[in-house]
Amino acid sequence: MSVYSVSRRAFLKRSLAVSAMAPLARAPSPAFAQGRSPIPRTEITLTVNGASHSVAVEDHWTLVEVLRDELGLTGTKIGCDRGECGACTVLLDGLPVYSCSQLALWADGRALSTVEGLAAGDTLDPLQQAFIDGDGPQCGFCTSGQLMAAKALVTANPTPSRDEVRHALTGNICRCSNYNRYVAAVMSRPTARATERDPMNTVGLAVPRVDAFERVTGRAQYTGDIHLPDMLYARVLRSPYPHARIRRIDTTVALALPGVTAIITRDNCDVIWSSGDRSHERYLFNNPVRFVGDAVAAVVAVDRHTAEAAIKAVVVEYEQLEFVLDAEAALARGAPSIHPDGNLAVRGDGARAPEVYERGNIDVGFAASDLIVEDTYVSKHHSNAQMEPRVTVARWVGTELTVWTPTQGIYNCRRDLANDLGLSPERVRVVCHYMGGGFGNKNQAQDSDLIAAVLARETRRPVKLEYTRKEDALGVHGRWPTTQHYRIGATRDGRLQAIELRGYSGMGPHRKSSGGIAGIELFRCANVRRHVYPVFTNMTVAANFRGPAYPQGVWGIESVMDTMAHELDIDPVAFHLQNVTREYNDETPYTSWALEECLTRGAARFEWARRWRRAGRDTGRVRRGVGMAVGMFAARLGRSSAVLRLQDGHLWLHIGVTDIGTATKTAMAQIAAEAMGVELADVTVVWGDTDRTPYSVGESGSRTTTHTGQAIIEAAEDLRRQIIRLDGLVGRRTLIAQATPEPTINGMARYASAAHFVEVEVDTDLGGIRVLHYVAMHESGRIINPLTAESQVKGGVTMGLGMALHEELVYDQATGVPVNPGYYGAKVMTHLDAPEIEVHFIEPEDIFGPYGAKNVGEPPIIPVVAAVGNAVFNATGRRIKELPMTRDRVLEALA
Amino acid sequence: MRRFTSVSAASPIDAAERLDVEGRRAAVIGGGSDLLGMIKDDLVTPRVLVNLRGISGLDDVRVVDGTGVVRIGGLVTLSALAAHPMITERYRAVAEAAGSAATPQIRNVGTLAGNLCQRPWCWYYRQRFPCFKHGGNRCFSRLGENQFNAIFGGGPSYIVHPSDTAPTLVALGAGFRIVGPSGGRTVPASEFFTPPRVDVSRENVLEANELLTEVELPPAPPGLRSTYAKVLDREAWTHAVVSVALALVTRDDVVQQAAVVLGGVAPIPWQLPAVGEMLVGRRVTQTLAAEAGRLAVADAQPLAKNGYKVTLTENLVRHTLLSLSD
Repeated sequence: MSVYSVSRRAFLKRSLAVSAMAPLARAPSPAFAQGRSPIPRTEITLTVNGASHSVAVEDHWTLVEVLRDELGLTGTKIGCDRGECGACTVLLDGLPVYSCSQLALWADGRALSTVEGLAAGDTLDPLQQAFIDGDGPQCGFCTSGQLMAAKALVTANPTPSRDEVRHALTGNICRCSNYNRYVAAVMSRPTARATERDPMNTVGLAVPRVDAFERVTGRAQYTGDIHLPDMLYARVLRSPYPHARIRRIDTTVALALPGVTAIITRDNCDVIWSSGDRSHERYLFNNPVRFVGDAVAAVVAVDRHTAEAAIKAVVVEYEQLEFVLDAEAALARGAPSIHPDGNLAVRGDGARAPEVYERGNIDVGFAASDLIVEDTYVSKHHSNAQMEPRVTVARWVGTELTVWTPTQGIYNCRRDLANDLGLSPERVRVVCHYMGGGFGNKNQAQDSDLIAAVLARETRRPVKLEYTRKEDALGVHGRWPTTQHYRIGATRDGRLQAIELRGYSGMGPHRKSSGGIAGIELFRCANVRRHVYPVFTNMTVAANFRGPAYPQGVWGIESVMDTMAHELDIDPVAFHLQNVTREYNDETPYTSWALEECLTRGAARFEWARRWRRAGRDTGRVRRGVGMAVGMFAARLGRSSAVLRLQDGHLWLHIGVTDIGTATKTAMAQIAAEAMGVELADVTVVWGDTDRTPYSVGESGSRTTTHTGQAIIEAAEDLRRQIIRLDGLVGRRTLIAQATPEPTINGMARYASAAHFVEVEVDTDLGGIRVLHYVAMHESGRIINPLTAESQVKGGVTMGLGMALHEELVYDQATGVPVNPGYYGAKVMTHLDAPEIEVHFIEPEDIFGPYGAKNVGEPPIIPVVAAVGNAVFNATGRRIKELPMTRDRVLEALA
Repeated sequence: MRRFTSVSAASPIDAAERLDVEGRRAAVIGGGSDLLGMIKDDLVTPRVLVNLRGISGLDDVRVVDGTGVVRIGGLVTLSALAAHPMITERYRAVAEAAGSAATPQIRNVGTLAGNLCQRPWCWYYRQRFPCFKHGGNRCFSRLGENQFNAIFGGGPSYIVHPSDTAPTLVALGAGFRIVGPSGGRTVPASEFFTPPRVDVSRENVLEANELLTEVELPPAPPGLRSTYAKVLDREAWTHAVVSVALALVTRDDVVQQAAVVLGGVAPIPWQLPAVGEMLVGRRVTQTLAAEAGRLAVADAQPLAKNGYKVTLTENLVRHTLLSLSD
């Protein structure tokens, strides 16, 4: 995927006879089948967890490949395969190393320890128990690596300090950003309770995850850990250009490589990826290609190395087209046309016009204003960067397709796959038991699912398609970049009179989700006008990433509000108390609403009154400042299903959820136990398989607890009625109850809310921003599990800090090529970057939702960037109006 | 990853001879962290890896008898170097640099020689743009996303040398022992690194059939203090935006000798002899440190997006000088 390959392609073009389109699939070549010119192997001995293994390896095999593929020790994960993330950490002669960056050959005769060796049978290592009790693993994909790094530390130093732990583990990235939990677990420090209400029988108890054991022992099986007999490996070839017409694809040489079984391109595969775009037909392979990373071909072969070699042998002749990266520029006259019908995405109603929201009359509002603040804020493409890159295993038996895939919604995925492959849904089974995070980029069916399914059908063998970290960064999606032009007006005493936003969201060449810019609804104001333009560009596709439209939008609006408060000389907390929403969009009442309480109690906890002073008062090299911002996120209700099966005195809960790291299974089991009046241990969750579980809404939009949780309660009511009808004499009967409620909230609005407070120091000499103190005050209705909910907030805030401070996918403007995909380049947060996050929950009564629960997944990231930006302003008197707030931008703002 | 053959070298000469036979098809490998990633990304395409790990005698730190010279084997890991008592006591800057590179996992296998010989981390090089370093005829950073590129000594390539240990070894006057098929030679650390104006295709003087085997540090004179400070864009596992290695010999608080070498700002470790000379014979004060900072950047030639590195350099030199003089 680079400009560099041009010369190689030119060479191949010259040296090849042009042939007719190669056949789609072919039998393995006789030479390969007979094993002619076999690759030499070396017999090595690995001592893994005390057991000696003889393995014949090829020289270029990495240690992690041999551990996983040859020895079946899949507890060690591959997150980046470049020594940038730490998921593959094992101990080599007692020292942590990245097993992706070691050849297996080099480990010959040496002692290795992997996560599988930590426990003696079912007796856990104390570290594993501490990880369970302290809620270390969220998605769990980085956990084995964290454990091994921690094991090496505590072996050498049984009582490490907090900083010693952070330094020892800093080579292990956790994108769920549960750094506080991991550090506390290694130090065996108990965690404070963040909630205020007394627990019910089970709901409200801070219990460890029901699947924590699997997650800390390496026994949790993720999609990449699945190995089927006879399985082939696939790889995808991607466009090196941001915009190009494909003149010709020649697969002759690639297909002739021993071990290559099929290649698909746009020439022989016209499957539409329907969830890839809402407004256009997006194919699996598009021509023209419209961003660097657009899929061009997929190869399937007997092993991954052969598949990799084969994609390099595919010859593609491109005609480069003009490209555009910036959303506003893409709407200018004469901009390159990305789709024939223009670069502005079509609205839901079919109009080619911006998304518009208006109330009142802003002209009247501005006329009534004593002060008007006008400013522009620019946010960037921000990679989801979940630890587990996309991977799919597909298998056909007759006309029935099974797809194992890390998805945030097995039912959405099944619907999309059936639709795109022309199958009836019951022919498609989607399975996802453990998955390594997604934060929005594993919603619906992804192209990897479709490509693997097509290749498995063509080859009549199971196929595993693995994306590299770079492909995952470029070929899936991240948060959309925005340009936000604001104008707001207020009276001298701080009453908002008008808010205007003209915003542009760069969607890449497909509109996979809304492209909204949210945040204005946080404020009460009679006159509002918001025009948002979702625009096609030639950047990588942008779509859902935790709190999709909010963190960037709230940063923009909260920055101009903070400026307004400053100009009017009003304390920002007071300004918020005066102006925050009381009814949604000033018209719809909330079912319960605690934003005001979040503000007052958060400010008290943070000691805002003591810490705050007017911006720019601090002098000297290192300046301190405080900032705050608010956020909210819809906690709607809606359709989902649950089945309860009472059998042999045990309760089985069947729900079609996956658990992306949010402790969904645990929360659902707690709700079931509560509803049935049984112990948590009496409940077993059956999940993540469309053949074994009923419909669920999908783990996106922070909906699972409210949707599926409500279904569980209603199924439980049914089950209890059945038991009552039997006078409790269930005997050896199996009782089954199900519910698929579609609850409504009577035209009201239901939102979780939060207020965040942060103190930073800004080094005016070196441009660094350091977070000193962070308080996140959240209202999410009743908290089902305070332990895991608090982890969600800690992680969301930390992830938001990365977006604020240093994470960005940077594009070369001349070539349209992204220059820093991956954990190293995009500077994803590490242990050493993560400050301690103080979390509190306010738990008001709410008559809707399961026991009044709302949601906790997405709210925590929403106010973070804004709070940090406001704190930097408070410290320095200068505002940084382009993300991320790196040293160059800090120094420029201070200059 | 492309297929290759891995062979183990029995001695430095053996490794050099293998390199001599294989030519550009071969690469030596010590820790492997970076090279394997580069092979996976097709940045380099060796057919033969010459594995140095089996060579004995290159993985320790010792004093050369009777000379006071400290000899560090090229295969000493960064972890071992950072923790070595002799290094932490006498040559603190080296230990600080080694202990702050990358991550614990990389330091546990990454070798001193590998750290010194690592290829550029310029975004364009790593994304395989057809730049000078890949045999092309331009530097994409010059007019591109050059926020981390060179402010000194750039042209025609604007990479920055990524090594943390290199500036410290240059500052401390180390010698680098190089072995080729016909024997060895020692070059001063300050002459090991090759500016792009001399040869844009390489970062050091090693020929294709040579390897860096040892580093020799001269005896630490009484009153030597050294330190290494760097500015990062995140707190771990990224290369220095700007770093400074500082070595001062003082007597009664008066500077007798001084060496200031920058990292992360030039295609080679960037020596500031004028700053060193200016410090000699004076006591380090706020005023002098500020003067040193200004002088350090007098010749800086920033590109469009890295002017902030001039400010960073000036301030980092000033702060580091003061911190070492406290």
